[in-house]
Amino acid sequence: MRRSTAAAVGTLTGAALIVGVRLSVQPVAPIAAPPAVDLVDSTPSASPSKAASSKKPAASSSSKAAEKEETGLKDGVFKGKGSQNIYGTVQVSIKIADGKITAAEATYPTTGNSATINPGAVAKLKQETLQKQSANVAAVSGATYTSKSYQESLQAALDSAKA
Amino acid sequence: MGTAVSIELADDRPERELRELIADVCRWLHEVDARFSTYKDDSEVSRMRRGELTAADCSADMRHVLSACADLWRDTDGYFDAYALGPLDPSGYVKGWSVEVASDRLLAAGSANHYINAGGDIRMRGTHPEGGPWRVGIRHPWESDKVSWVLALTDGAIATSGTYERGNHVINPRTGQPAKGLRSVTVVGPSLALADAYATAALAMGEPGLNWLAKLAADGYESAVVTDDGRAFSSANLPAAV
Repeated sequence: MRRSTAAAVGTLTGAALIVGVRLSVQPVAPIAAPPAVDLVDSTPSASPSKAASSKKPAASSSSKAAEKEETGLKDGVFKGKGSQNIYGTVQVSIKIADGKITAAEATYPTTGNSATINPGAVAKLKQETLQKQSANVAAVSGATYTSKSYQESLQAALDSAKA
Repeated sequence: MGTAVSIELADDRPERELRELIADVCRWLHEVDARFSTYKDDSEVSRMRRGELTAADCSADMRHVLSACADLWRDTDGYFDAYALGPLDPSGYVKGWSVEVASDRLLAAGSANHYINAGGDIRMRGTHPEGGPWRVGIRHPWESDKVSWVLALTDGAIATSGTYERGNHVINPRTGQPAKGLRSVTVVGPSLALADAYATAALAMGEPGLNWLAKLAADGYESAVVTDDGRAFSSANLPAAV
């Protein structure tokens, strides 16, 4: 079978690693994956969209809301629309009794992307013994950033063996 | 700074055609370099940095790259940031993506069996010249002539980021300090563009990156990690060679 191999050096700009982030995103305080809320039973879908889109849900906003809106609130449990933020979907529910907000709860992403807040990932990496082999391989994956480090790499040896 | 690119074509075709395919890949990679280099004054990246070019006026490739970097910033909790140092620097995405595209072009041109290795980040398809999957070693983080895993892959990507090569150049954005904890992070999955970015982001996270990586398995991205103190971890379905 024919094959052909070529190595070109110097084609790509350095693989600049991620370095730092000017990020102000704070992980929301650790949350123990609260399942919806036990105040759920009716859902006349009010739309507390402000609360729902807030990154720090629940407590603080609910007490303010309670002060402001003492009257005109219908009793019941209201669930906000799920709101997307960078952590995933947050849904806020409030419970109204006697025209006042008596409880507020938020559900947090359980399938989002965040390592910081999504609790209890099921998947885990398993620990093993670090191997040190000189195996017969076609290619080598490794951190090789410069032409110099390429020249010293196992991949370079493989390339020259094939050339 | 340059990156070495190794290309192997294992298709049963005349040498002349294979050489032409390789030349085509090299042309594409040089085109990418001309457009995205942070070292060339006339690259699109440099022109955007100087404000001479806006996102609305740039090339379709640049728009794709900017959008992908934004997605990755979100998907990695901000650990992947094309603006980490201030000015735009999408190199961390461009490398993997350009190789991914190069492999797609090879396939479209009829090469079903090949690999492209750009500085340790590899996209491969099909089978080895002697048949069977490609056997790919993951470099041992302390001994450059040894490997710590051997994987068998027929269609997929593998990317490794490590602190052993350039020292602690990766900053943990939460602390502003060099990332510590992980010495080598390898991610294996369908797209090299994403695998590369994920490996780099996890390295920046340090040991919490272990849990973050574990969750990527749901999206088809397996991982193998060596910590600074020499512990090794791998995900359940890492395609280890037998």
